[in-house]
Amino acid sequence: MLVHIDGPWSPLLGRLALSEIPYNNPILVGTFVFAALLAVILVGLVTYLGLWRTIWRDWLTSVDHKKIGIMYILIGLVMLFRGFMDAVMMRAQQAMADGPHSAGYMDSPHGYLTPYHFDQIYTAHGTIMILFAATPLLVGIMNILVPLQIGARDMAYPYLNAVSLWLTAAGAALVMASLFIGDFAHAGWFGIVPVMELPYSPGVGVDYWMWAFQLSSIGTTLGGINLLATIVKMRAPGMTWGRLPIFTWASLSANLISLSTFPVLSVALALLALDRYLGTHFYTAGLGGNLMLYNDLFWIWGHPEVYFVILPAFGMISEIIPTFSEKPLFGYLGMVLASLGIAGVSWGVWLHHFFTMAASPAVNAFFSITTMAVGIPTGVKVFNWAFTMFRGRLRFELPMMWASAALFYLLVGGLTGMMNAFTTNDYMVHNSVFVVAHFHMMLLLIVYAIFGGVNYWFPKVFGFRLEQRFGKIFFWLFTAGTAVVFIPMFTLGFMGMTRRLAYVAFPQWRPLLDIEVVGIVIYLLSAVFLVAQLYVSFRDRAQNRAGLDAWETSRSLEWMTHSPVPFYNFAVTPEVHARDERAWRVEHGVDTVRPERYEDIHMPRNTAIPLWLGALSFGLAFGLVWRMWWLTEVCGLAIFALIVIRSFDRDTDYTIPAADIERMERAIRDVPSGRPVVAGVRGAVPAFRQGV
Amino acid sequence: MLDPRGVISVTQDHYLALDVLIMLLIIVPTGIFIVWAMRHYRRDGGRGRHDARWDHSYALEALVWGIPILTVGVLSYYSVKAIYAVNPYHPTIMARATHAKGPLDIDVISTDWQWVFIYPQQGIATVNRLVIPKGVPVHFRLTSATVVNDFYIPQLVGMIDVMPAMRVRQTLLASRTGTYEGYSANFSGAGFSWMNFETQAVSRSAFRAWVARVQGAPTHLSYTAFDQVAQPTINIHGRVAYFSQVQPGLFRHVVAQTAAGKTYPTPMAMTENMTRYLKAQARRDAHNRD
Repeated sequence: MLVHIDGPWSPLLGRLALSEIPYNNPILVGTFVFAALLAVILVGLVTYLGLWRTIWRDWLTSVDHKKIGIMYILIGLVMLFRGFMDAVMMRAQQAMADGPHSAGYMDSPHGYLTPYHFDQIYTAHGTIMILFAATPLLVGIMNILVPLQIGARDMAYPYLNAVSLWLTAAGAALVMASLFIGDFAHAGWFGIVPVMELPYSPGVGVDYWMWAFQLSSIGTTLGGINLLATIVKMRAPGMTWGRLPIFTWASLSANLISLSTFPVLSVALALLALDRYLGTHFYTAGLGGNLMLYNDLFWIWGHPEVYFVILPAFGMISEIIPTFSEKPLFGYLGMVLASLGIAGVSWGVWLHHFFTMAASPAVNAFFSITTMAVGIPTGVKVFNWAFTMFRGRLRFELPMMWASAALFYLLVGGLTGMMNAFTTNDYMVHNSVFVVAHFHMMLLLIVYAIFGGVNYWFPKVFGFRLEQRFGKIFFWLFTAGTAVVFIPMFTLGFMGMTRRLAYVAFPQWRPLLDIEVVGIVIYLLSAVFLVAQLYVSFRDRAQNRAGLDAWETSRSLEWMTHSPVPFYNFAVTPEVHARDERAWRVEHGVDTVRPERYEDIHMPRNTAIPLWLGALSFGLAFGLVWRMWWLTEVCGLAIFALIVIRSFDRDTDYTIPAADIERMERAIRDVPSGRPVVAGVRGAVPAFRQGV
Repeated sequence: MLDPRGVISVTQDHYLALDVLIMLLIIVPTGIFIVWAMRHYRRDGGRGRHDARWDHSYALEALVWGIPILTVGVLSYYSVKAIYAVNPYHPTIMARATHAKGPLDIDVISTDWQWVFIYPQQGIATVNRLVIPKGVPVHFRLTSATVVNDFYIPQLVGMIDVMPAMRVRQTLLASRTGTYEGYSANFSGAGFSWMNFETQAVSRSAFRAWVARVQGAPTHLSYTAFDQVAQPTINIHGRVAYFSQVQPGLFRHVVAQTAAGKTYPTPMAMTENMTRYLKAQARRDAHNRD
């Protein structure tokens, strides 16, 4: 039944042996020492500050949507750093391994990385940036904001929300584990078949990739269900569809995509698993396998996934620009239709990822036109943002800087996107670094929106604003780095340079590759200022305390509750009167009215089960990767048992009496203005500590 | 790529320029408008009048939707036209031009990680070197013995997937003599970065002389010999080989073998230590020569 694999195997450790630990690779040993030191410092610090109890009770076992969102964002940031270091290594390798006379170090014929190692790095870079950086960052932001924007107490399924988080965390952990135990896939983040099949990838790398993807895919599907249910069912009274904040509309569109496409990804990966474990022939070259089946299934998820990450980014830009233009968003209805339009079109464009497969002209023509059609709603969005600024009163504070810069990325990305959608152009640049530069423009747009969004909503979540001076230096350095890396990359694409080269055969490309290295160094430098910004903000948090409305011209519902938001979100569920409720209340002078009386609030209880499910899923996947069947069986059974036990648990919620709400509300109001109010940090107001 | 030397690549560049021009017509004014609005309406020192209620205008919204729809419409028209013009199976752009000489057939087989070019009419084959006559349409049939590659000669023709157990076609016509770089564009494993083949477009008489020379090559290409060539090889030194007396129907046989499950597994050794693997490869090459 099981495929026979050459090489040693033992019942206890499966394929795992001491030789699988890359102790002889100085790069990985260095990374391990760095990671281990960091872990020791962190553990020591937490122990010294006596925070273990807080971390366990207030964070790891929490079902609070805001805390889950923050933890998603933390995972995203850690993985963003990892993915960025991968990028640094790739740039260095290509600059060093250029031309037949370039020197080679550490067993490599050219440069310092062997092709096999280089291939793993770019695969990890793509996988991490898309699935474990962009997706968790955006899911985290949606998690925090959507319930606040619609006036809900929490997500529709708080427990499920925690399960999604810990499944994603397990996937991320699996990717990280592959650094130090065994190796990672080498066939690209989207998995090239039949390179992914056993004859061409006999190691455990593809298995790591496959199960990490699978865990994250299941987690995101569950998260999609949750957000959709929340938006449809949990809106505050008066929050009609026509009054829904635009970010929530974007989240709704995004999660329609995730719910309808992530299951396809799960199936595509499951079939690959059958090929690799049971010896079936779904995607093999011969014996009836069809490798195009994989391409179809993967990209039916893969392209909508791009819009799954870009729609929330568009949503954030749509929230930031009106606030700092001091006027409502132009063309609300058009924006909503455009968001849904992007979601709709996303299902019909996947084939442009393999235009070069020699399909008939009619097929290519159809997908060329559908792909171009994406330009219609996207163009509408750009124009609407421009007209939102038109007749506005613009303040270029940090969030606005990031958001308005993102517009220019959309222009460049749109131009190059239209070039790629034009099928015959695609024949020329399909697998070249031109395409790589294009999709980095689009993903950097998302990054800009995320940085804008983080600066914008940070005071809402933590109660103090981020420092601006270092933040602006970070912005300008980051922008400079982008220009210096990607303008040469577009040029190289036109010169015919293809993707994924561990060795560059043409020395005339060397100067441009060197410029790209300069760019990546600027990026590295910018990261220093990001850290400085965060440090200074935290140090001076008392001076930067934010009130209800940190920017004074905000428009939507989330700015009507305290900063930081108490765990029950709103003391009294707000009644919604207008599209921009906060702006409406300010205009009508009712923004400071206190509720006449408080009511009991019904809240979900914390639980450690999602954390255990995540840990067990990691064990299950790890067992599968190394073919340690006992580990897989034990973890699988334990997961099943936990789910059954949880389903019989009736004590999953509690009620906060109205009197307690009143007391906590008064405590928050009476906080001396200089005192820091920080979630989970010493000195936080008692109201932030969720009841157990 | 911006210095095209073939009918197909010239056409592709022509449409590329058209596409970019149309897009710039939209994007440049939009960019200028955004920059103008950002300056004119800024709070500190901007001259624009603030209107806190203005969020809707039917005329503008018609424009906002109209411009992208129109642009996409125009671009779609040209895109479809271009797709038919350079369709790899039957490029209309080449059907229109009449050619005195009939097409030259070349069968392309990609292996891990080399290119085998078979000239069935001439009964010869080359590895990692493509020689074509100038001004004659060349019809390719392409397949792979192992995994997917992309056949790509930037100055002559765009990419096409070369897939195992499947056969695709590509067409090109070099309008000038010269040496052009060709390579695989689709990642195919550890030796991918070295999958280059030099393409020489020569005059018709030089091509005939070259064919005659290769027909005298001492090594022959039967399926057994092909099997040796197709063993995983990282062509790090850019080796080229020539064969005469190619077994008839070799291309079809390779497609059929791959469809029947023939693979050339990547050895585990390759995944560990590059230098050791390259030494083993050199030993194998020496053994084959003996």
